[in-house]
Amino acid sequence: MNPQGAQAQSLDTRKDPVAGSIDARGHTVLANKVVEKIASQVAGDEAVAGGSSGGFLGIGAHADLTSRPKVSVELSGNMATLRVDVGMLYPAPLRQATEDLRQRIRDRVMELTGVEVRHVDIKVSWLTTADADAGGERKLL
Amino acid sequence: MRQTAGTLNRTWLAILGILVLVAGVAVLLQATGILQNVLQTPLRGAKIVTGGLHPFFAQQWLVILFLAVGIIVGVLALLWIIAQIPRKNLAETYRLQQPGAQGRTTCDPSVLADVVVHQINTLPGVVASSALLRGTADEPDLTLKVTVNDEADVRALLRHLESTTFMELSTALETPVIKRRVQIDVSARNQNSGTVTQSGGIVLQ
Repeated sequence: MNPQGAQAQSLDTRKDPVAGSIDARGHTVLANKVVEKIASQVAGDEAVAGGSSGGFLGIGAHADLTSRPKVSVELSGNMATLRVDVGMLYPAPLRQATEDLRQRIRDRVMELTGVEVRHVDIKVSWLTTADADAGGERKLL
Repeated sequence: MRQTAGTLNRTWLAILGILVLVAGVAVLLQATGILQNVLQTPLRGAKIVTGGLHPFFAQQWLVILFLAVGIIVGVLALLWIIAQIPRKNLAETYRLQQPGAQGRTTCDPSVLADVVVHQINTLPGVVASSALLRGTADEPDLTLKVTVNDEADVRALLRHLESTTFMELSTALETPVIKRRVQIDVSARNQNSGTVTQSGGIVLQ
């Protein structure tokens, strides 16, 4: 678009026609939402982590380990900082489980998008037990 | 569940008690004449203020001194009364990240308290419960209040709290919950979870 960039491209083309042709194909722009959804899906795939589902405008939502947690991302160039609002299974060791989740998100986001993930801040918003889906009812023996 | 100013009360009462005790002993020694021999204090019954008391207490420096002392004592008394208001002293957000982690991990203590309460409420005979976490993620301090009805087995409940509830909280926080208090109340209310009870039985024909 700018004259300087155009000049640089024509010079590169003369030196290396193959590289020049690749550059000429265009840019790939990654929106924040893409990174957010990928990170959210990666977190949601973990057995001990989940998000919330149901409700209307956030009212009446309930904990659901099978749904995707809420993720927000700050992109700065090729570096990203993620904030994950996640629910966990209780009584999982929270430090270890969140550290594993952090590493998993970092690795997968970097692998799938090429964006360098510097920080993954995790907020544990709710905890649920394995039998919570059953409504916590008592069993008569 | 709420904390009161017990330590502050004991400290101030001890200080005031010592002051009154010292004053009482001094009066006794003065009355018996021992203090006069030791510290050369005026004799018993001797006037220490020459002239009338009214002009003595009308001196400006003495008025200012009494005023200042009165204000200080009044402020301290007010602060002591304010300190009597029971407080929950809730813990701040727990930080759970491991050393060297590339990011923060936070969890509000109320999140942990909620899941503990949810588990306790499903136990037989438990009518209601509440939990409060204080301290830090490395040194958690759990206070439990469990209300049971007359059908509850309190010993079994305490055993379950020891063997399961506290252990699971320790597992989640990856540190032993050493400081813990349990208050058990008894109520005539019925247990009501608001859910249907599943039963597995044999149908006889």
